[in-house]
Amino acid sequence: MEQRAAMPEQIVDKHVIAACQQGDREAFRLLFEAYKDKVFSIAVYSFGGDSAVADDVTQQIFLKLFTVIRQFRGESEFTTWLYRMVVNACLDERRRRRRFLPWGDTMPIKVGDKKPQEKQYARLEIGEKVRTAIAELKPKFRLPILLKYIEGLSYEEIATVMGCSKGTVASRLNRGHGELARRLSHLRDHVV
Amino acid sequence: MFYKHVTNNLSAYCQGELTPTECRQFAEHLISCNKCRKEFEEIKLGIKLAEQLPRLSAPEHLWTELQPLIDRETNSQVPLARRRSFATAWQTQIAAMAAIVLVVASLGFYWAYRNQMAPAKLRSWQVARVDGTPRIGAAGISNKGQLAVGEWLETDGNSRAKIDVESIGQVEIDPNTRVRLLLTKPTEHRLELARGKMSARIWAPPRLFFVDTPSAVAADLGCAYTLEVDDAGASLLRVTSGWVALQLKDRESMVPASAACQTRPGIGPGTPYFEDASESFRQALAKIDFEHDITPASRTATFDVLLGESRKRDTLTLWHLLARVDQSDRARLYEKMISFVPAPEGVTREGVMQLNERMLELWRDKLEPSWSDRTGVSKAVAEAFWSARNGFNKTAKKIQEK
Repeated sequence: MEQRAAMPEQIVDKHVIAACQQGDREAFRLLFEAYKDKVFSIAVYSFGGDSAVADDVTQQIFLKLFTVIRQFRGESEFTTWLYRMVVNACLDERRRRRRFLPWGDTMPIKVGDKKPQEKQYARLEIGEKVRTAIAELKPKFRLPILLKYIEGLSYEEIATVMGCSKGTVASRLNRGHGELARRLSHLRDHVV
Repeated sequence: MFYKHVTNNLSAYCQGELTPTECRQFAEHLISCNKCRKEFEEIKLGIKLAEQLPRLSAPEHLWTELQPLIDRETNSQVPLARRRSFATAWQTQIAAMAAIVLVVASLGFYWAYRNQMAPAKLRSWQVARVDGTPRIGAAGISNKGQLAVGEWLETDGNSRAKIDVESIGQVEIDPNTRVRLLLTKPTEHRLELARGKMSARIWAPPRLFFVDTPSAVAADLGCAYTLEVDDAGASLLRVTSGWVALQLKDRESMVPASAACQTRPGIGPGTPYFEDASESFRQALAKIDFEHDITPASRTATFDVLLGESRKRDTLTLWHLLARVDQSDRARLYEKMISFVPAPEGVTREGVMQLNERMLELWRDKLEPSWSDRTGVSKAVAEAFWSARNGFNKTAKKIQEK
């Protein structure tokens, strides 16, 4: 899993969504390419870095999306609708697997075979520690952080996706940030 | 003044989710409230950490594996394609082609917008002409302009400009000055002063506004100051209210109102001094700070002048020198300092000689009123300043490397 630039979401407009609703496979491929990295990232971070589970969950989400996209009426932003589906899918899968994978169980994320430069390695190392710390947060604190930093949503959008108030989002992000700072205070000099 | 604690909304404040009025109330409260300011530092760290979260790429095989699942799903229902008439299928194909054309066009517009419009609109400061024709890049400013991240603002011998630093302050740029906007976001604003002179008036919590110079980094706490950089990269900081820190690598100087501090490339900040100190005192200090090839005899004589000319208020300078001189000079400093202000309980001569950090801090707290009583800076602000000491190592190291 290498990091790379994601395809801009702007390419998915109402025409692409309309074509997807008509069952157009090529249009759905465009939609898949636009959102696959973000959906996959949330899945990976939600399942403690287990990329195999994240693969499955991402496939399930897009398979479900293919079948239910006709139900999208355009009453909200498509991304809000999609991310709500992603969050629910991750929570459902989490509940299903709870007996087998406790929250805190994290696996290192492979970052490719190419030997990284020293700087990049340090950055990845910090990223890995951050990922582990985020995986250990309670879901109600972790999901707003993922939606904020992976999806780049505003507080208002996160509130819509999570079905709560903007104030609740602000409070949960605050708790999440505070918890991250306490757990990783030893990295202060590396990120400040 | 906004008295209610703001800890619950600190993330929203840092991430630009509050209204300008709320932001101003927050900033005012943070300056005066130790509890919220401490929490603010934690939240800023949490945000910086979360920003390190890498975005991952989905594996290439995902679509390949997804296709048969979609096929199966499609076949298990009444396939949409079979329900379509030939004409409808054609319409769909045309619609899909149109969609692809639109996609490509949207992508082009997106990149054009991002490259040309977004930087100026989203990440820039407003610049107003005061005199002459200041320039942003190659373009002259007739009235107002936008300084984007990475752009240089330059004044010639006849021009001056004023910069609005988001909602936290103003910076005036004097003639023959060259500054660049390095970074602007809710948790950090950073300018580079390559040469010339700027005056800053900042009303923000600690460590939000930084100025990089060729020989040190300046960070402020709700203060006003001027900063000058000459062609050799040396700088002079003069503080008119509040406090400013100057740092390079592990060398750090805290400069209160009415005091000044010089810096030199490769050395970093010198020792702060009050501007009303005698000329002989200031000359002796400059020699101790920056002339490292003087003979031991000359150094001793210089030290004699410094100690002889010092007043109670100059313990600001003497306290900073404690960690910068050898044992024998440190002993002389100690004796001079206790003649002005006795060492407080818990501070011993042995501890000071060994540069015990806790003891030095205790003594500094005792001395501090004599440094700031003329300027009326509150203890709360001073405490906030001292608590904001650590933190610019990264940039300081970069400058040192340069």
